[in-house]
Amino acid sequence: MGGYLEAIVRGIARSSLLTAADYNNLCQCESLDDIKMHLSATEYGPYLQNEPSPLHTTTIVEKCTLKLVDEYKHMLCQATEPLSTFLEYITYGHMIDNVVLIVTGTLHERDVHELLDKCHPLGMFDSIATLAVATNMRELYRLVLVDTPLAPYFSECITSEDLDDMNIEIMRNTLYKAYLEDFNRFCQTLGGATAEIMSDLLAFEADRRAVNITINSIGTELTRDDRRKLYSNFGLLYPYGHEELAICEDIEQVRGVMEKYPPYQSIFAKVSYGESQLLDNAFYVEEVKRLCLAFEQQFHYAVFFAYIRLREQEIRNLMWISECVAQNQKSRVHDSVVFIF
Amino acid sequence: MGTTAAAGTEGRGEAVGEEDGAILQLLDSLDGYISLMGSLSSSLRQGWLELSSARHSMGNSRISSVLFDMKPHSSATTVDLTVSTASDADQATQPHFSLLKWGSRGDEKSPSVEVDGKTPSQASSSTIYPAVAADNQVRKKRSKALSMFGALVPPKLRVAQGSFETSLEAIIEIANTRSTILSALGRLQTVDLRS
Repeated sequence: MGGYLEAIVRGIARSSLLTAADYNNLCQCESLDDIKMHLSATEYGPYLQNEPSPLHTTTIVEKCTLKLVDEYKHMLCQATEPLSTFLEYITYGHMIDNVVLIVTGTLHERDVHELLDKCHPLGMFDSIATLAVATNMRELYRLVLVDTPLAPYFSECITSEDLDDMNIEIMRNTLYKAYLEDFNRFCQTLGGATAEIMSDLLAFEADRRAVNITINSIGTELTRDDRRKLYSNFGLLYPYGHEELAICEDIEQVRGVMEKYPPYQSIFAKVSYGESQLLDNAFYVEEVKRLCLAFEQQFHYAVFFAYIRLREQEIRNLMWISECVAQNQKSRVHDSVVFIF
Repeated sequence: MGTTAAAGTEGRGEAVGEEDGAILQLLDSLDGYISLMGSLSSSLRQGWLELSSARHSMGNSRISSVLFDMKPHSSATTVDLTVSTASDADQATQPHFSLLKWGSRGDEKSPSVEVDGKTPSQASSSTIYPAVAADNQVRKKRSKALSMFGALVPPKLRVAQGSFETSLEAIIEIANTRSTILSALGRLQTVDLRS
């Protein structure tokens, strides 16, 4: 059941995630070198200590991500089935993002090596560089992705149309939809507390993606039917909420749909009219609350998912603090920092 | 002799008046220049923070310089430089900058602001598009510019685009104001030499 690994995650989660006091110190830094100095006292220290000045925010994010990757690899190599499959599922989202990055960059005639440098390390696979030779989705699948874990997700989006910005976006969201549904099905087969907690966490993810797809597609060429096809077939909003979201033409209509669902009333209540930019942060706050609750039960795999996601949120926090310090905008630092635990 | 003295006094008076006018124009232009620099700094700061906020939401890999489109393509926004011919031989020619946003030509009525000191009615016009069609055209070009980051981008990125557009307009205004300052300075120096 992975008792050793669960103990490691619970020990690490409680002791090494940054606290509110750490964030308060970081928010008062005057420069990125100050941030590096404060982080040297944390577990990120060894990853940043050899970085020369002047630091850049992307360097801080890269090195913190490397720490997450090392922890993940340690867990994966110690895990047995079915935990190892569960841990691999967690990385498929990054794999999809990497595939889209390579394909988009190639479409824009960028060098594949600089694209590979920008890929998320958790989503790397052996033949990723070969993606650059494909010109349509059929080739993408046939030449490269057929041998990857993403292969089953391609059945819904294989066409011979040449890749363009809209097709790529539809491919990204279709793949992610198939991935979430597959992950949800896998968690249900595990049963017990894993199925119960992961069902809630993945449903929240599916609902959040539905809202983001709706808001981001307002005023674009994406038709209502195409928008509806990108929503996952599970979650609190499925199916009636999706029908209503598909026809929304502005953010206030989205608010009207979401406020009918009690768990999302509180999210939209935090966002006043005209402040839709704060919606992302409100969703992150709710996500962190749910992820922390996953640690309240024992002997399930959702703690691993929650730990990885909380680390990613921590890296987002560090990225935002670094950007505010680098741009001398410290008054805005609390706009997007979400405290954990 | 009295007539010569009176003519001399009148001439000096004109020179002083001209000098005062040039100084006033110079100071006005400088004041405008300083305000514009403040506006530019503010809009750029806002734009950069909004861009960081969009990157925070979408992820570092989705908003990155590696996604810039390297394929040859025409620029959606251009700057036109015209040099006005001086009517007075003592005045230097004054360069004039105008921003043509999102492919709009200077002789068409466009919903975008032409920052060249001329109102749309003063610009020479040959064709006037319907306002709605022009708006749609501009909206499509704006979306196309962001499409390198994906076809479905969050509102934060669009807001950042708006801030940088405002900054671009401010830069053109600053360039024109600077041109006016240099022209006023030149005029002042000419008046000084004459007197």
